Amino acid sequence: MTKIFNNCLIVLCCAIGVGGQAQASEKSFLDEVNMSNEKFDNRSVPVDKLVIQESVLAKEENQDGPFRVLTRKKLIGRFKCSSCHTGKAVTANQGLELTHSDIALKHGQEGQALSCIDCHHVEERNFLEDKKGRKIDFDHSYQLCGQCHFRQKRDWLGGAHGKRVANWAGERVVFNCTTCHNPHSPRFEKRFPATYSVPLD
Amino acid sequence: MSSDKKDQNEKICSQLLASKSNRRDFIKTMSIAAAAGSAALTAGCIPSANAASSEEMKLRWQEFFKENYRMMTQEEKDETVARLERLAKLRNNLDLQMSSLPPIEGVLYGYAFNITRCEGFMECVSACVKENNLDRKTDTQYIRIFEMEPGKLDPSTGDGQYYHEVPVENKFYMGTQCFHCENAPCTKACPTKATWMEPDGIVVVDYDWCIGCRYCQAACPYYGRRFNWGQAEIPKEEITLKQHYLGNRLRPKGKMEKCTFCIQRTRKGRLPACVEACPTGARVFGNLLDPDSEIRFVLKNKKVFRMKEEIGTDPKFWYFID
Amino acid sequence: MQAQQKKNLITFVSDVIRWNLRGGFGFQLFRIVLFGIMGLGIYAYSFQARYGLSVTGMNDVVSWGFYISNFTFLVGVAAAAVMLILPAYIFHDPGFHRVVIIGEGVAVGAIIMCLSFILVDLGGPLQAWHLIPGIGLFNFPSSILAWDVLVLNGYLLLNALVPAYILYSHYMGRKADERKYRPFVFLSIFWAFSIHMVTAFLYQGLPARPFWNNPLMGPRFLASAFAAGPALITLILAVIHSSTTYKIERNVFNKLRLIIVISAIINLLMLFSEIFKEFYFPTHHSSSAIYLFFGMDGHNSLVPWIWTSVCVNLMATLVLAFNPGKNNPKVLLPACFFLFVAIWMEKGIGLIVPGLIPSPLGEVVDYLPTWVELCVTLGIFALGVTVVTWLVRAALIIEQDYGDIPDAK
Repeated sequence: MTKIFNNCLIVLCCAIGVGGQAQASEKSFLDEVNMSNEKFDNRSVPVDKLVIQESVLAKEENQDGPFRVLTRKKLIGRFKCSSCHTGKAVTANQGLELTHSDIALKHGQEGQALSCIDCHHVEERNFLEDKKGRKIDFDHSYQLCGQCHFRQKRDWLGGAHGKRVANWAGERVVFNCTTCHNPHSPRFEKRFPATYSVPLD
Repeated sequence: MSSDKKDQNEKICSQLLASKSNRRDFIKTMSIAAAAGSAALTAGCIPSANAASSEEMKLRWQEFFKENYRMMTQEEKDETVARLERLAKLRNNLDLQMSSLPPIEGVLYGYAFNITRCEGFMECVSACVKENNLDRKTDTQYIRIFEMEPGKLDPSTGDGQYYHEVPVENKFYMGTQCFHCENAPCTKACPTKATWMEPDGIVVVDYDWCIGCRYCQAACPYYGRRFNWGQAEIPKEEITLKQHYLGNRLRPKGKMEKCTFCIQRTRKGRLPACVEACPTGARVFGNLLDPDSEIRFVLKNKKVFRMKEEIGTDPKFWYFID
Repeated sequence: MQAQQKKNLITFVSDVIRWNLRGGFGFQLFRIVLFGIMGLGIYAYSFQARYGLSVTGMNDVVSWGFYISNFTFLVGVAAAAVMLILPAYIFHDPGFHRVVIIGEGVAVGAIIMCLSFILVDLGGPLQAWHLIPGIGLFNFPSSILAWDVLVLNGYLLLNALVPAYILYSHYMGRKADERKYRPFVFLSIFWAFSIHMVTAFLYQGLPARPFWNNPLMGPRFLASAFAAGPALITLILAVIHSSTTYKIERNVFNKLRLIIVISAIINLLMLFSEIFKEFYFPTHHSSSAIYLFFGMDGHNSLVPWIWTSVCVNLMATLVLAFNPGKNNPKVLLPACFFLFVAIWMEKGIGLIVPGLIPSPLGEVVDYLPTWVELCVTLGIFALGVTVVTWLVRAALIIEQDYGDIPDAK
């Protein structure tokens, strides 16, 4: 009988040995992750797909150094603005269409909604203007948005807000604020989801 | 059977007997013998049922007797990829570009999901289905999005089957998929080592080595694995042709599959399809070993949590809040 | 026997086949019916081979169903043969010595059914060779399923070879050398516990499934197996006793009843302990038990199933324990039958399916086996019964016609 018990003991020990390799302490791969401070050269990764969208070098840097943002100006239908806004009173034939009546401004909190000139430069219509009176290029709208949305801007610079274009490796190219948000109505509109999950049974 | 074929077979048999068989040799000779045998069979004895060409039969035999991907040399990997490409051409007239690209040195992939930002549009789900050649017949999906009540953080309290205009006031959305655990219960469970974690942290399945016992599925605490209960059906024009052996290649029936962080993309520097498709930027993907990467920024500067951390699976998928 | 010198391994095999082809009309009919059911199983399996496991009721949530349920239960039946071997070889109980061979036959049949259930449950049965150590890649010792493959096949070998050796020796007209097979008998006793513990660990080792991840799993598996297995063996012995000339002593039945009662009571005790844990303070981890016993989100297909099982189990245990018929077989045999069925219900579907429901993400679906699963299962049962009848028939003929010779000498 003792033989049987011995056998049982051996099996138990084996089983425990198998389980024991799982993890005995709080050690985690995260220690390794947090300790790896060696710079990784993203550009050393052979990137399969090049970013085809046009981008410009951002005027600020993040932890990884300089990076690029997608351009905006090319996507604004009637840029340059100065072609109409010449400083004189604007008269246009298709007034209804050209006087920006299509824009419904829904930016800012209830009661203190923004107006056009809160962001647009009053004199130089090809530019935006921040509260300090600096001229800001349309391609670098993050400089303007960031004066109120400073937390989002900090996240955007670091990579927790917004997103990269196409690649995780290679040169960092990120979406501009206005690539995702309509500056006149920045909240995403309600819509139906792209798909749905079918019931499982 | 013609005499030279007989000779060939005899030669193979003697080879088989003479070789002090380590496993690789054994399998190789088996596959050669099988290929020769099947060639002989299709040459006359058995009329092939679906008019399969002898080339196809040969390729299929070689595929049947191949090894586990992890045991293959790069040369053997190239061979099987070439065979699979050829088979796809022969059977379905598909011009695949399959790769067996190895992991990139110094890279460990990590993923973060912003539950403040996700609005439940499910663009990620449809992009994933398209990219990974998921079965359209049973609507297989790797990603689930749960519509969550405020005050609760467990997806089992959420609604995973919503279909209405989103986002709904006072709800938030939480996505799940394979979390690529560092201490993955699924890889531990597999009896044939058909699923494992690659050096870059991606948990993959060798679809041809899997025997379909589904023990890994029972072992997964996150519902991260999907089984091919029947033969997957994908309209030919919708098949993603850029494939990876461990990624989105077409799976046979009776095999386990799962999210691979779009291995066919990420090993070429691209973002996974879900990250690229996300309209709200709720998904962050990057190299955990790069101190300057976006994912490391999230881990450092955000309050993050992982699902079911108490199980000790150590997922490489974090949730965070703005 | 004058033809002794002509006997060898080949005549042994051919004689076994010959004896099994003989038999009365009833026996032949029984055999044909079994073959018919096996044919039905093969026909049903052909659908599965063609269309994959999509023809079963399983899905990504309930990824194990009727097959694995039956597998789990039958491992217990196989392991229960030890309840005959242990008294026979260790306590040298003469009554048990006479029936131990039948227990071993039942074990072989059960293991063959187990392996068949695993095989039909595989999505890629053609790739099963990947499991063969040496040729395939065996994830040992990490995967408990790899352990299970080893212990099940080992147990099959032990339980087939030891009786085969003894029977062959008797067939050849000599006494089996106890020094040769005794170590293997001891090994098989230890092995019987291990097959069941390993199978329990298969489930117990999954933190993803709190319903299974429960240290009582292994012991409860053993307790239920040592109730259900001997109950089945009692029934089989009763059939043999009444339909053949091989008579079984009364005290064997009495001792079996004792084994069953003790095991069944321990099983019920553990069941009660589990139910207490799940329902005194229900946590997240209790949802499977809640689904099983009370239903969840309008899904309650298992509720009548499990309550039937628990009630029948309780009744049968009480009948066996208090023995109201004073050892009347007309009371005890049905009680054994019902106990067996109740444990089959509880330890099969009642254990496997709710472990997978709700899914780790909280989704509740119902599972119902399809006709394919039912027919394949029936086919495998028929295969098991066939194997058992063949083995037992051969064993009894040898034991009766040849077994006494060494003693007579």
